[in-house]
Amino acid sequence: MAARGLLNLAQATEAALIIAAQARDQAAFGELVKRRQGWARGLLRRMCRSHAEADDLAQEAFIKAWERLKDLETPAAFPGWFRRIAVTTFLMAKRRQKAVFEEIDEAANPMASEDSTPEAQAGAKIDLEKALARLSDAERLCVTLNHGEGLSHSEIVEITGLPLGTVKSHVLRGTEKLRRMLEPQ
Amino acid sequence: MSDFDALLKRSFAEAHEPQDDGFSVNVAHAVARKEKSLQLRMVLQNIGVAAGGAVALYAAYAVLGPIAVDLLAPASAGIANLGQSFDPTPAVGDVAGSAAGWLQSVGAGLTQVLLAAGALAGGAVAYRAAQQD
Repeated sequence: MAARGLLNLAQATEAALIIAAQARDQAAFGELVKRRQGWARGLLRRMCRSHAEADDLAQEAFIKAWERLKDLETPAAFPGWFRRIAVTTFLMAKRRQKAVFEEIDEAANPMASEDSTPEAQAGAKIDLEKALARLSDAERLCVTLNHGEGLSHSEIVEITGLPLGTVKSHVLRGTEKLRRMLEPQ
Repeated sequence: MSDFDALLKRSFAEAHEPQDDGFSVNVAHAVARKEKSLQLRMVLQNIGVAAGGAVALYAAYAVLGPIAVDLLAPASAGIANLGQSFDPTPAVGDVAGSAAGWLQSVGAGLTQVLLAAGALAGGAVAYRAAQQD
């Protein structure tokens, strides 16, 4: 579809926006960003500890997506394709910071007292984000991709380049830590 | 799947980020800047390629010119001698020889300047391309 064919961007389907964006239509890509930003920022916010860093990485991921859109074979593949770009962007940022897979020092980062807060005591609302922030980068990444994005262990291996055993271990340990932090006592 | 795993999946599914118009605007601006710089790079590359092509053509002229003169000189001398046998005017070969000498001296100087300019232009284009990748 020609880029100028999209008269009403707000009503265009995502597939039409992607095809127009592949034809270098910046307005169509802008609409695509508008629709997908919540998911992308949410994904990266669960991977990062800082919201500002997550939003920076989400922006970087969208710019990379714009540059590589011609490599996307079908519009239907966009979510998985973009997820891979987001994860790669996250991993590269962590490598730049030389901070991949560091473990959180439990003593240095005392929990926001999950057992003593009124919410926890009442067994009420789960504060997923706070709990995720207590995991290591690698655990958070693997748990988010497994439980949040519904990827299998082998899919996580493919997207992150980590060994299968490592992925399984991170998912298991991360989930177990979350269980200890979040499950009502 | 345990109850907790299901609860976890549900929690992830419910954790939506609110729409942020500022974010979309920032991405749109960044994409626009990227496109502009890409266009500028393409213009620079085209200029570089054109300059490189001109240098290559001139270098070919500078190299092949003297060879052509050497090849044509005997023929022109033959023609001049033939003409002289009919008309006792100044030799055409002498005029052609001095013109070729002048062209060669100018060409030699210009070739160095143009080769240096071409190398600079080519280097600049290669540097830009490497930075972009």
